[in-house]
Amino acid sequence: MEVSVVGNSQAKAGLATSRAVLFRPRIGDSSTFSSKSRVFTGQSQGSKRGKGGRRLSSTPVRVEEVLRRSLLSPSDVESFRQPDKVRLWVGLPVDSVTDGKCVNHARAIVAGLKALKLLGIDGVEIPAWWGVVEKEGRGKYEWSGYLALAEMVCEAGLELHVTLCFHGYRKQQQPVIPLPDWVMRVGEDDSSSIFFTDRSGRQYKDCLSLAVDELPVLDGRTPMEVYRDFCESFKSSFSAYIGSSIMGVSMGLGPDGELRYPSLQGCESSQVERVGAGEFQCYDRNMLKLLKEAAEACGNPLWGLGGPHDASGYDKSPSSNRFFKDKGGSWESLYGEFFLTWYSNQLIRHGDRLLSLASSIFGDSGVTVSGKIPLAYSWNEIDSHPLELTAGYYSTVNRDGYEEMAKMFAKNSCMVMLPGMDIRDDSARQLLGQIRAACRKHQVRVSGENSLLEGDIEQVKDVCTADDIDSFFYQRMGACFFSPEHFPQFTAFVGSTKRPRPHPDDIPKEEEERAEESLALTSDSILQMQTA
Amino acid sequence: MPTLSTDPLPLPPTLRPSSASSSSALHSSLSFLLRRSSPWLSRRRCPAVACSAPRSVAPRASRGSSSSSVIVGDLEPAADPGVAFDKTFPIQHSAKVEGKIFVRFDQQNGENWVLTVGCTVPGTWILHWGVSYVDDVGSEWDQPPTEMRPPGSIPIKDYAIETPLEKPSTMMDGADCYEVNICVQSNSSIAAINFVLKDEETGAWYQHRGRDFKVPLVNCVPDDGNVVGANRGIGLWTGALGQLSNILLKTEATQEKPESSSCLSSESEEVRCIEGFYEEILLVKEVPIQNSVNVSVRNSPDDTKTLVSLETDLPGDVIVHWGVCRDDSKTWEIPSAPQPAETIAFKNKALRTLLQPKQQGNGASGLFTVDKEYAGFLFVLKLKGDSWLNCMGNDFYVPLPSSATDNQGEARSEGSQGHGMMEDHKEVSTTVYTDEIIKEIRNLASDISSEKSRNAKTKEAQESILQEIEKLAAEAYSIFRSAAPTFTDEAPAPEESIPSNISSGTGTGYEILCQGFNWESHKSGRWYMELEGRASELSALGFTIIWLPPPTDSVSPEGYMPRDLYNLNSRYGTVDQLKVLVKKFHEVNIKVLGDVVLNHRCAQYKNSNGVWNIFGGKLNWDDRAVVADDPHFQGRGNKSSGDNFHAAPNIDHSQDFVRKDIKEWLCWLRDEIGYDGWRLDFVRGFWGGYVKDYLDASEPYFAVGEYWDSLSYTYGEVDHNQDAHRQRIIDWINATNGTAGAFDVTTKGVLHAALERCEYWRLSDQKGKPPGVVGWWPSRAVTFIENHDTGSTQGHWRFPSGKEMQGYAYILTHPGTPAVFYDHIFSHYQSEISSLISLRNRNRIHCRSTVKIVKAERDVYAAIVDEKVAVKIGPGHFEPAVGHQRWSVAIEGNDYKVWQAS
Repeated sequence: MEVSVVGNSQAKAGLATSRAVLFRPRIGDSSTFSSKSRVFTGQSQGSKRGKGGRRLSSTPVRVEEVLRRSLLSPSDVESFRQPDKVRLWVGLPVDSVTDGKCVNHARAIVAGLKALKLLGIDGVEIPAWWGVVEKEGRGKYEWSGYLALAEMVCEAGLELHVTLCFHGYRKQQQPVIPLPDWVMRVGEDDSSSIFFTDRSGRQYKDCLSLAVDELPVLDGRTPMEVYRDFCESFKSSFSAYIGSSIMGVSMGLGPDGELRYPSLQGCESSQVERVGAGEFQCYDRNMLKLLKEAAEACGNPLWGLGGPHDASGYDKSPSSNRFFKDKGGSWESLYGEFFLTWYSNQLIRHGDRLLSLASSIFGDSGVTVSGKIPLAYSWNEIDSHPLELTAGYYSTVNRDGYEEMAKMFAKNSCMVMLPGMDIRDDSARQLLGQIRAACRKHQVRVSGENSLLEGDIEQVKDVCTADDIDSFFYQRMGACFFSPEHFPQFTAFVGSTKRPRPHPDDIPKEEEERAEESLALTSDSILQMQTA
Repeated sequence: MPTLSTDPLPLPPTLRPSSASSSSALHSSLSFLLRRSSPWLSRRRCPAVACSAPRSVAPRASRGSSSSSVIVGDLEPAADPGVAFDKTFPIQHSAKVEGKIFVRFDQQNGENWVLTVGCTVPGTWILHWGVSYVDDVGSEWDQPPTEMRPPGSIPIKDYAIETPLEKPSTMMDGADCYEVNICVQSNSSIAAINFVLKDEETGAWYQHRGRDFKVPLVNCVPDDGNVVGANRGIGLWTGALGQLSNILLKTEATQEKPESSSCLSSESEEVRCIEGFYEEILLVKEVPIQNSVNVSVRNSPDDTKTLVSLETDLPGDVIVHWGVCRDDSKTWEIPSAPQPAETIAFKNKALRTLLQPKQQGNGASGLFTVDKEYAGFLFVLKLKGDSWLNCMGNDFYVPLPSSATDNQGEARSEGSQGHGMMEDHKEVSTTVYTDEIIKEIRNLASDISSEKSRNAKTKEAQESILQEIEKLAAEAYSIFRSAAPTFTDEAPAPEESIPSNISSGTGTGYEILCQGFNWESHKSGRWYMELEGRASELSALGFTIIWLPPPTDSVSPEGYMPRDLYNLNSRYGTVDQLKVLVKKFHEVNIKVLGDVVLNHRCAQYKNSNGVWNIFGGKLNWDDRAVVADDPHFQGRGNKSSGDNFHAAPNIDHSQDFVRKDIKEWLCWLRDEIGYDGWRLDFVRGFWGGYVKDYLDASEPYFAVGEYWDSLSYTYGEVDHNQDAHRQRIIDWINATNGTAGAFDVTTKGVLHAALERCEYWRLSDQKGKPPGVVGWWPSRAVTFIENHDTGSTQGHWRFPSGKEMQGYAYILTHPGTPAVFYDHIFSHYQSEISSLISLRNRNRIHCRSTVKIVKAERDVYAAIVDEKVAVKIGPGHFEPAVGHQRWSVAIEGNDYKVWQAS
C-alpha cells in the first residue's frame, strides 16, 4: 500500500499510483469513479468523499417538463461513453475580478458554473492577478473579490484551480490588467531596469525581468520575496479552501504566465499568421551584467558585451541575417553555444526559483503546483528553431531543450501546463509530442490547454484521451463560450471525454448490456496497451 | 428530435411490480406512465387515465384499510404517553402554473393597429419594449414616440419603455389574464416593435428564441429568427433571462392561429405589408408552495411493533417511498410484512406506498408497522409528475425506539433522545432547506452512481439535465453578451462597432456606391437619358448610391472645369433631363451624389491685366475669390489652404462671401435637383474644415471626397508601409470632422502592388490590419479599384488588367463603403460583381464590419469578415479553418474565393 503517498505531492510516487488506478475496471466499481488525479491528492480525498456523501440523497429525478427542442441532441448523451480519463477544467473570464473587491458578471458566472457542474466538469480555473490583488501597495492584499468568486465556485460544487498571475494582461496591445501600480512606478525609473529589454532598448512591461529575481529592487525587497509574500497571503486567505476545493495552483512564470522570454514583445497581437522569430531579451542592465560575468568566467569577456549581433529583427525572416541561418549560422558556433546555453539556463533557473518557492509553500497542503510553458512552434522548419531559441529554449534540430525544463519540473514535483493543444499545425503537434516525451521521461504530469475557442476541437479530443494528459483546461468562459455556435460543440466535446455514469441498477436492460459491451471493449484495449 | 412524446421509454424491468396483485400492478404501471410524462402531456394526451386513476384506487384503499393495519384519522399528538416521536417537517416544493403568453396584432380601423401582449399566468408582468425605426438599420431599440406609450409607462434609459400589464375587463378562458395594448399607426416610421416580458415577482425575463420578441411592421426587417407572427414553427434556444430555474417555456406546444390578415401598401417608400396575427407561447411558472408532513411514532398496542404514522396536507396522490434501517448508516432495507395496502417493492431496497386520501379536506396519511429490531424509518415522498420531496436533499429519517427498550419508561427516554436528534434536524431544515430544482439535478448528476439514487435516471433524466444545462448556458450567454463594457470577448472595435445613425460620412453604413459614368460619357450628349434606362438594373444589382458626373456648365466637356455653377445644362444632358434622372433613381431607391468641383472655377472674363480671373453668371465673383499663391491667375484672396490645381483659378474658401455662395449653391442643388449628397472633387486643394462647413449647411445623406496623392515609393518600388499616405487622407477626413468619407486611394495602391507583383503579404500592415484607410477608419473609407481618371480612356493609374475581380472580391467583402466603376458593372464582370454585392448584403457586411486577416503571404491573402464571410485572393491555397463556423463556398472566380458561414 502506498500509504506514504497520502499528503505527499511527490510526482514520482503519484504517477505510479495513477497508472495502477488507470487499469482497474471502470464500470460497476463505484470507487473508480474518482478520477485518477484524485489519487495524488489523497489527503483531500477523505473530505471530498465526505462532501459527496452528504449529497448522496435518495431524491433525484425531477424531470423538468420542458418540452422544447434541445440544442443538444440525445445522441450527444449517447456518446458519453468513454471511460473517465482526463479531468476537465474551464477557465473563468480573465476579468472576473478587476477591482479586487467585486466579482464582475457574477450572475452570468453563477449560471455558467451550474451549467458546467451539470455537464460534469471537474472544476474551474481562476486567474488571480498580481496587479489586482496587490494593486494598492506592497503587502496590501485585497482578496475579497476572489474569495467571493471562490465561494460561488464551491457553492456550485466545483473544484478550483487558481493561477497566480505575476504578469500583466493586454488586449490589442492595450494594457487591461497591468502590474501593480507601485511596481510600475519603480519601473518608470530607468535606472531600476526591472523589465526585460530588447536590443533596441524597448522594455516589456508586463512582467519583471528574471535578472532581478533576487535583487532588492522593489522598495528594498527582491521580487522573489514579494512573490513569496503574495503566495503566503494567498495561502492564508484561502486556507479554508486549500486542499479541499483548491486542488491546484499554477505559478505565473513569465510573459502570459509562461516560462519564457517575451521574445515577441510588440508582435504578440499581430494577426498576421507569421511574424519573425522574435528577438533575444537580454539587454536590461541586470541581464547584461549576468551575461558579462558568464562570459568572463568562460574566458571570453568579449562574448559578454551583448546578445548576438547578427540575430534577425522582430518582423524579419530569421534567415535574413546570419545567426539563425541553416548551415553555418552563428547559432552553431562556439559563441552561439555559449550564449544560448547561458540564455536558456537563466530561464530554467528562474522557473526553478519560482516553482520551488511554490512547492515549499503549497507542497504540504495537498495542492498540485503547475507551471505553463510556451509552444513556440513556428519557424521550426529552420534547423535553428529560432523562435524557441529567442523564447529561451535551447532546442534545435539536434538538441532537445525541453529535457532541462522537464527535469526542473520533476525536481519540484510540479505539473507542466501545455497550451496550444488545439492548434492544427504539424510542427505544433510535433513540438507538443517532443515536450510530452520529455515530461514522460522525467515523470512529469502534463495538463493541456486550448489557445482559442475556435481551435481544432477534434484534436483536443484526441489529446484528452491520451494517457499522459492529466487534465485539460478549456479556455475560457465568456459570451463566445456560451454562444449557440460554440456551446453545443463544447458539450459534445465534454461528452466525448467524460461522462457521469449511472449506477448499473439504473440502466435499463438493453443499455446495461451495451455498457457491458463497451466495458469489454475498454478492458480489451487496455490489455492491448499493457502488452504493447 | 425526440421528445418525451415521440420517444416513449421502455419500462425498466426493475419497476415491474413483483409482489402486488394484478390489479395494483395495473395501477402502478399506469401511475408509472403518468409519472413519465409531463403534466402537460398527461393532461392533453391521456386525460382519461389521469382522471380515472384516483377513482379506481379508492375502493381498494378502503378495503385495504379495513383488512389490515392502516388506520386513518385517529392519531394522537405527542402528549400521548405511547408516542415516542412526533414531528412536523416543513415541505417546500413548487407547483407549476401553466398559461401562455399571447401576442395579437389587429387592425382597429384604417391606419390604426393594436398590438396586444398578454399573459395568463398570475404575476406582476411588465412589458419591456422599444421600437426600431425604418431609417435606422443598425440600432434595434429606440424609445417609441410618446403617443404610442400606454398610460403607466416608464422610460428606461433612452431606448426602452416599461409598461405594466393590467387585468382587462374581459376574461380569457376564465383564467387570470394580464395584457397591454399598444396602438400603432401603420404609416408611422416604425419598422418593428421589440419586446421582452418581465415577471417582477421572480425577476424572470421571457424572450422569444433567446432573443427579443419582434413584431415587424415593415417587411424589410431582417428576420433573425425571433420574429413573431411569421408562419413557421417555434423552438430552439428559448432562453429566458433571470431566474430560469423556475421558469419553463414550452414553445414546443406553441399554437399559431393566424386570425386575420390584410395587406396594406402605403405611399411611403417602404413596401408595407402588415398582417394581423395571433400567436401563443405556452409557459409554465413554478410557484413555491408550503406543505408539511407530520410523523409520529408509537408502539403498537401489543408493544411488539412500532407504528409510524405519516400525515400530510399535500394534495393529490402522494406515494411514500420508504424503508427501514438498523443503524446510523441509514442503509435502506425492506421491512418484513405486513405492509400497508397499495405497497409495492422497489428494486428490493424500498417499498412504495400510496398514502390514503383523508376523508375530509386535502391531504393524505398512512400508517406503517415496523418490527422493533429497526433503528430508523426512512422515507421520501413522491408526487404526481415525478417530483420528489425530501428533507433538504436527504432522506427523511425518523429514529425508532430500539428493540432493547421494552419497558415504557425507557421507551420514553429513548423517545426524548430521539426528539433531541430531531431538534438538530430541524435546525438544519430551516436553514438549509432550499428546494431548488437545480440543486437536485446537480445532485443527480454528481451522485448518479450513488447507491441510494435508485431511480430510473436514464435517458429521461439526462435529457432533463441537458435541457437545464442548455437553459443555464443561454442565460449565461445573454448576460455575458449584454454585460457592460468588458474585454472578455472580442475586443471592442476602435470605433463604434454598430452603425447607429445615418451620417453624411457613412450613409446608413450599408451603402454600395456606383460610379455612374466614365470619361467618355459626355460624348453622346444624352448620358442622363441613357442612365435613366439603367436605373432599375442598377437598383436590382444592389447599389444604393449613384455618383453622377459634374453637372455644371464647364470649359471641358467632362465637367471638371466648371464655369457658371448655376447653369446645369451640360454635355451629359439638360437640367430637366437631370431632374428626371434623379427622380428616377429615387424611385428605385438609389440616392444620388452630385459631383461638385469646389477647388477651382473657370473665369468668364479677364481682369485688367488680361488674366482670366473674373467670374460670370449668378456667382459673379472677382479676383478676391481666387487664391493669391498661383501667379498664373493673380488672385487677390488669401493663400491657398491646400494644394493648387494649376489649370484654373483656385477658389479662396477663406473668403466669407465665397463660402456663403457655395453653401447657397449646394442647398440649391439639393432642393432644385434633388441631389442627396456629394462627391467632392480635388479636396486636396483646400482645407477640410471648409468642407465640414459646406456639409453642415447642405446636410447631405452621403459625401465622399477625392483626396488623391502619390503613395510612398523607395527606389521606384511601392513601400509596404503606406501609413504616411493613408494618414494624409485620414487627416483630411478628420478635418471635415468625419462628415465626409474619402476614396481609399491607399487600398487601391496596395492592391496594385500586391496583385501586380504577387506580393499578397502587402495586404496586411504591421499590425495585422488592412493597409489602407479601411484599416484605420473603415467607416469613412470609400474603397474603389478604378474611376474615370485612373481607368476608362484616360488610364492614369489603371488597375492591374485582368485582376479586377480580385480587387472587387476584396473591397466588396471588406469594411468600408465599396464603389464599383461603371465600366466594370457593364462588362463581363457583371455577374460576379452582382454575386459579391448580394453576398455582402446577405451577410449584412457594413462599413464598420470587423476584418480578421488570417493569411497574408506571397501568393495568397485571406481574411474573415464579421466571422461570417471568408475571402481569399491570390493564386495560393487557403481554406478557412473549421471552427465553430461551417464554411461553404459562395463565390469562386479567377484567383479568388469567398465563403460564407452557415
